[in-house]
Amino acid sequence: MAGDDAAGDPPTRPDERLLNLVIALVNTSAAMTKQQVRSGVHGYDGAPSTEAFERMFERDKDTLRALGVPIVTVEGSGHSEEVGYRIDNEAYALPPVDLTPAELGVVSLAAQLWSDKTLRTDMSRAMTKLAAAGAADAAGDAVAGLTPRLRAAGDAYGPLLEAVSERRVATFRYRAANTGQVRTRTVEPWRIAARGGAWYVIGHDRDREATRVFRLSRIDGRVRVGAAPGAFTIPDRVDVDAALGAHVGAERTALLAVVPERAPALRARAGESAGAVPRAPQGRDVVAVRFRSMTALADEVAGYGAAVVALEPAELRAEVRRRLTAAAGLDGRSLDGAETGSTDRAGERHG
Amino acid sequence: MAERADDRLVRLLGIVAYLDGAGPVGVDELARQFGVTSERIRQDIDALWVSGTPGYMPDDLIDFDAYSLEEGLVSLTQGRGLTRPLRLGTREAVALVAALRAMHTTPAVQADTERAAVVASALDKLTAATGEAAQAVDVRLGGVGDARLLGVLAHAVAAGRRVRLRYVDAADTVSERDVDPVRLVTQDDATYLVGWCYRAVGRRTFRVDRVLAAVPTGEAVQVRDVDGDVDVFAQVAAEAGQSAQVAVLRLASPARWVAEEVPVESVTDLPDGSFEVRLRVTNPAWLRRLLLTNAPDVLAVEPRDVAEEVADAAREALAAADLPELG
Repeated sequence: MAGDDAAGDPPTRPDERLLNLVIALVNTSAAMTKQQVRSGVHGYDGAPSTEAFERMFERDKDTLRALGVPIVTVEGSGHSEEVGYRIDNEAYALPPVDLTPAELGVVSLAAQLWSDKTLRTDMSRAMTKLAAAGAADAAGDAVAGLTPRLRAAGDAYGPLLEAVSERRVATFRYRAANTGQVRTRTVEPWRIAARGGAWYVIGHDRDREATRVFRLSRIDGRVRVGAAPGAFTIPDRVDVDAALGAHVGAERTALLAVVPERAPALRARAGESAGAVPRAPQGRDVVAVRFRSMTALADEVAGYGAAVVALEPAELRAEVRRRLTAAAGLDGRSLDGAETGSTDRAGERHG
Repeated sequence: MAERADDRLVRLLGIVAYLDGAGPVGVDELARQFGVTSERIRQDIDALWVSGTPGYMPDDLIDFDAYSLEEGLVSLTQGRGLTRPLRLGTREAVALVAALRAMHTTPAVQADTERAAVVASALDKLTAATGEAAQAVDVRLGGVGDARLLGVLAHAVAAGRRVRLRYVDAADTVSERDVDPVRLVTQDDATYLVGWCYRAVGRRTFRVDRVLAAVPTGEAVQVRDVDGDVDVFAQVAAEAGQSAQVAVLRLASPARWVAEEVPVESVTDLPDGSFEVRLRVTNPAWLRRLLLTNAPDVLAVEPRDVAEEVADAAREALAAADLPELG
């Protein structure tokens, strides 16, 4: 039903105008000037004014470039001062990919990963291009029964990807986690990353003059992308995990005193270092668990309440105690008389 | 709904390139290749037929063999220079390569060397074809998993074999249950097994890191109409919507992730930077754990009996830690 409401001669559909523009620019011997496009290419003749034509042509060029069509500008030569356009036929083609049916099955499955409409659109176009390159029927056997899925990145993804790809500065309002304050941040974005179901952008914060990590869900409103491309350089090595603090040092061992029969999920991860395990205190079992993230393990241990007591290291004991002490005071506060002011949480690192 | 112009353009260009390489192809086969209806393909052919180079005289146009088309066969006779497949745009390359990289790191893929090798080779071929642009996005999925256990579950899913699980739930209660596995879903930081549970007599989703043991029973799964393609969080949210019990938490700003990751009904930002979330409680054990874990950032909790229960549990835990032999 959409698109059928035009009165009189229906204008050429944009997709068909774009198609004719591609064919014209692929086949032109040297280059086509704007004027030649306007008078010659099917679909542009309907433009009511020079201004309307210019807008239409600029938008079409942007659309085609975004799709990977390499439109190049040719400076006017000899008799003509006017700039011309053509498609670089060398750069146009997709190099041979030759995916096996099993590999194509993997690609089809990977396509399900994205939850965002924009990423799904990008992915389905990529699939169409692979199909055009002759990709055979996908075979799902290699990855049968698997579904990867990632939470939506949200509206910030599109402009941030443009900023990273073209090295443009991004500006946005951001809610800092430790204070809750919303401030405008100006960032040279290097990478967009997802870890643990959360999306981040990592880059150089121009005001803080330091590398910073921003969580996309804490961006307030629109991301504005600077006009100048190539405004900065991205370091050769960007260590996303280091920036996010995911590698919090080497693997260590914690000793936990666990009530018999309890916390089987923890026990299932218990290491084999039984030799060093001390005598079981208070009828509890001593369980040795390897860990990297102190925060994550302290959370987990505190969550078990009295069923699991941290023995070693001392830092873990302190972290668990901090959580439990705060929890022990929860019944003393009500919503209307709640203490205000932010608490100081160690390990907070974002923004 | 009207199709986007750029989506259709990519297919129009793709059809010409494909036909040039593949030779005459049936309309239905072409439809399958491009994942659209045969009706769409016929409209595409009609559009291509009248497109070409300026002048648009018969010799300028893309052309097909009309006789073949009447018999349902699409045969390209003039491609007007569109015979090569179009390369990937930056955004497309990013979406494709980042998704494959993410898949490659999931424990469910890593648990099976053959599977990991297929993902790796697809990734290599596509990275070679797309270049460096795809580095812009870096996605990891899934935490660390028990490779042996995941191997057993992945094999059971693929082979359609029933498994007996020892499973511990959020309340730390262990149960043994026979499950017909349907899918392994890696979502964000965890892997889930979706299947038909004989103990619950219904579809259930199990966190793989809470599966203590999985043993094939030797039986084949029964064919059931179980929709394995679940969004785990959407499902939790849907179940939560049916719960009558509501809790309100006032949280300090560092606990912002609760508003972002837990299916909450509403979030209210307060002037001092703290905020309140309102959520429906399907699983009291889960809420108790959330509050114990994040207590330093919890400013207040309603209803009061929830706060009291958590505070009691915390005092008990502190007392246990203070016992001489443990202290």
